[in-house]
Amino acid sequence: MGVDTILTDGIIPAPVRRRPEALLQVEQLSIDIATRDANVRLVDNVSFGIGRGERVALVGESGSGKSVTAQALMRLNSRVKLSGRVNFDGKDLLSLSPSQMAAMRGQRMGMVFQDPMSSLDPLMTIGDQVAETLRIRGISKRNARQRALDVLDELKVERAAERLDSFPHEFSGGMRQRVVLAMALVGEPDLLIADEPTTALDVRVQERVLDLLDEISRRRSLAVLLITHDMGIVAGFADRVMVMYSGRIVEENEATLLFAEPQHPYTRGLLEAVPRADVTVDRLRSIPGAPPVPAARPSGCTFHPRCDRAMAICSSVEPGEAITPSGARVRCHLYGAG
Amino acid sequence: MAYLRLISQRLVMTVLTLWGLATLVFIMIKLIPGDEAQVAAGPGANPEQVASVAKRLGLDLPVLQQYLNFLLRMLRGDLGTSVVSSKPVLTELAAVLPSTIELMIFASIIGTLIAFPMALVAASYRGKAFDGIARIVAVTGGAMPAFWLALMLQFFFGNVWRITPISGQHSFGIASPNVTGMPTLDALLAGDIPAFLDALAYLILPAFVFAIPFAAQVFRLLRASLLGVLASDMMLPVRAKGASTSRMVLRHALPNSLLPTVSLMGVLVGGMVGGAILVETVFARRGVGSFLANSVALKDTYAVLGAVMFVGIAVCLVNLVADIITLMLDPRIRGTQFGAGAK
Ligand SMILES: Nc1ncnc2c1ncn2[C@@H]1O[C@H](COP(=O)(O)OP(=O)(O)OP(=O)(O)O)[C@@H](O)[C@H]1O
Ligand code: SF4
Ligand SMILES: [Mg+2]
Repeated sequence: MGVDTILTDGIIPAPVRRRPEALLQVEQLSIDIATRDANVRLVDNVSFGIGRGERVALVGESGSGKSVTAQALMRLNSRVKLSGRVNFDGKDLLSLSPSQMAAMRGQRMGMVFQDPMSSLDPLMTIGDQVAETLRIRGISKRNARQRALDVLDELKVERAAERLDSFPHEFSGGMRQRVVLAMALVGEPDLLIADEPTTALDVRVQERVLDLLDEISRRRSLAVLLITHDMGIVAGFADRVMVMYSGRIVEENEATLLFAEPQHPYTRGLLEAVPRADVTVDRLRSIPGAPPVPAARPSGCTFHPRCDRAMAICSSVEPGEAITPSGARVRCHLYGAG
Repeated sequence: MAYLRLISQRLVMTVLTLWGLATLVFIMIKLIPGDEAQVAAGPGANPEQVASVAKRLGLDLPVLQQYLNFLLRMLRGDLGTSVVSSKPVLTELAAVLPSTIELMIFASIIGTLIAFPMALVAASYRGKAFDGIARIVAVTGGAMPAFWLALMLQFFFGNVWRITPISGQHSFGIASPNVTGMPTLDALLAGDIPAFLDALAYLILPAFVFAIPFAAQVFRLLRASLLGVLASDMMLPVRAKGASTSRMVLRHALPNSLLPTVSLMGVLVGGMVGGAILVETVFARRGVGSFLANSVALKDTYAVLGAVMFVGIAVCLVNLVADIITLMLDPRIRGTQFGAGAK
């Protein structure tokens, strides 16, 4: 325990490139869930920041804790217990009252979810669902409808004016995802969290939706946290990449540097499994084994059973955070804090 | 168009059900022991009367012909003739039907007014004290047998606390002129508020006998489906828009839960027609139920079978209406005819 503590807590260097115009600053965020017999830590002590207008990708295999982290930023999941700090534009979100937090949602931060098919209310018109974000803030029906129309136009929904009164079942998957995006963007948030927004769509539609997101985020200087397990779509989109493994961020760097010089063995594994940016294959084939479940994480470095460079120390001591010459923030004994 | 097709499917189903019911009633008539003409003419009829009834009913014809004639009579609304009153069963039923409808409508309104707010609050505060208490109350309310409930209500409200009358439809001498056959409505039409309150007082206990189990079932289904919708993927984006719990429940969970709930309410209201036999008898009220019970007591076979047929038709129609409402609530079924810009 003693060694552990020293290594994890003592060696954390001053955070890298903390931008002056930081929008979101997450510090030592942990997420626990109480199950029947035990308290399970889903996300352990993650820290990261997102600057205004910055596009950050959060990648990792299924079950690594990406969605749980993303939802924690907006306190969407009331079943988990959050600890640490989530500073958004100077406010600590974790200490806001439920109604103060609700006031942040939709206005300051928006979120889109994986499956556009099940993300919409089948009984409410598209126009009403997009306008709802504004109606909640007491904006008049007419104004809200007009702004909903503007956003749908911005998202290149054809004949948007006629389609405001249609229902979700009349839309294709790609169109629904635009509607879902419109719901998140109509309140003009500063941060958009997109949790695998294109996974359920076919490749061509995926690209179009990402291009749109790219365009809008530049035009509005909107910060985006893009969650995906598809390294292929990260390269063209993100300024910075964070790699998550088993509830921890194991590597973080500028996107170009991370792709050019991946440091953590897990990151290398992920990248080696991407033959071409535009071809979707089983990207994780080259990493043997499966990620651990949160309730039974291996000791030391949680990646050690799957790591081809594991050393004796790896199975007993948790690696602290270090900064490599390439500027990566990485948790691995290969980059000993020494 | 899917909408029209589904509605016509329901209509066809209803017609088939009624046909089946009519056939069943016909078979029952044939199975009654003794001479059918004698039964139809009544125990006290003399041979000439029996003969004339036999002729009128065509009892000398082949069975198949009789069956077809029977169906034709049903189509014309001829449910047979009461032996006791010598009046057409349909006329007798029409006279007592409004009273039953009044009771059912009033009971459904009370039940809905109890169940909906309870379910909405319970679902909004899931697992909290109110939710727990409401669920226990619902289980208890749903488990009480109707006859027991009726007697308890009469005993406590009528005898012990003397808040309401025990049985009947209005106090002696304050009946309003009969227009609709519903005492409360008649009093309102006559502008007679004391008579209205009087009729209401008589209506309230029997209505609660229906309303309590109705509310218990509607509460349970509505609460469960509200919670189901609230836990679905659909709600995360709504939460992410900044919606409050009450908006999530009222604007999203409730409309999506209405479909199964309205279907259930249709079935339950249909069931009330049958339950009317007990409740109207216990509370000495005019109605289809007490008519049926009386006819059984008087061995008035045609009246009984006519009333059975009638109750069957009523149940089918109530269910049909509930089905149509359910279909209209769903834009996926309602189809593109109301949605603009559909592709
Ligand atoms: N309500 C819950 N109860 C128990 N465990 C949970 C719960 N929600 C999530 N988890 C666990 O938390 C871990 C992280 O889940 P999360 O959904 O964040 O993964 P993810 O990285 O988003 O994966 P994916 O790529 O499949 O979406 C998983 O192991 C999951 O089993
Ligand atoms: S700490 Fe050891 S096991 Fe973990 S990634 Fe680094 S080398 Fe591999
Ligand atoms: Mg996920």
